[in-house]
Amino acid sequence: MIPTATLRLPAAWPLGMLFAALSSRLGGDAERLPEDDILRLVEQARAGDTGARRRLYTQHVDLVYRTVRGMLRSDADAEDVTQDALLTALTSLDRYRPRADARFATWVTTIALNTARRRFRRRRPEITATGELPESAGDAADPADDFDRARQRRVLLAALAELPERDRTIVSLRYGADLNASEIGAIVGIEAAAVRKILERSRVRLGARLGTRSGGQP
Amino acid sequence: MTDDELLDSWTSLDPTNGQRRRVDARVSAWLDAHDTSIAAEWLELVRVSPFGSLTLATVGATAIVTVTPLAWFAGMLVGAVP
Repeated sequence: MIPTATLRLPAAWPLGMLFAALSSRLGGDAERLPEDDILRLVEQARAGDTGARRRLYTQHVDLVYRTVRGMLRSDADAEDVTQDALLTALTSLDRYRPRADARFATWVTTIALNTARRRFRRRRPEITATGELPESAGDAADPADDFDRARQRRVLLAALAELPERDRTIVSLRYGADLNASEIGAIVGIEAAAVRKILERSRVRLGARLGTRSGGQP
Repeated sequence: MTDDELLDSWTSLDPTNGQRRRVDARVSAWLDAHDTSIAAEWLELVRVSPFGSLTLATVGATAIVTVTPLAWFAGMLVGAVP
């Protein structure tokens, strides 16, 4: 585990700034690559290709963030867990063993879940009214974070905060990481059929909350 | 609510540009720092700074030019004193 404290390096590092500028400029490699291409990147990154490692990062950073954001109570926690999980994954590629029934994203998501669980054990932050901590002033001016998106996000986080922790984890793995019931079952250690039941129940609960809070249902 | 609708809703949890920039910067800074080879770190230790060297040479030359006549004059004075 890479301690978060060691990662608080100044963002003014030349390569760091260049990488940050490039990745945000390029939209973070938004197009999802097929699994074969991902595995090829893993091989190249293992051989020391930093470009391949960077593409692996950009392929998974949003996926990891949106998955752990559904599990955690604050944006700050989600940022920390995302960076810790991706650093652990990118520096442990030698330990990854491709399997027919589990994609690379499943492996990365498992690391993210373990990282989030360790964080849960360390401390339990207070739940705010919306389940969020305030954003910094810089983020408030973010053009991508428009009003509708922010409202949808707030409603979803509030609905998630009402689910039991295990159910929240399972729905986050399903809808954040786009994993199927078998993959989720393998990660959380329960049968796929049980995962399906929890997903069905959670979908009804979330649907009711989202419908009510977005003004669709009384 | 359908599976697809929830998948679509979840995209609202994607990081904002600011959050993404922060994570990108921290991860790349950590990787850059740990990718630095031992040789590069040693080279960094003995790195010659062109501006620093130029300043040092200028100050040295100025000191020699100004201190030499002063030392000579001081020697003359000391020699003149009985």
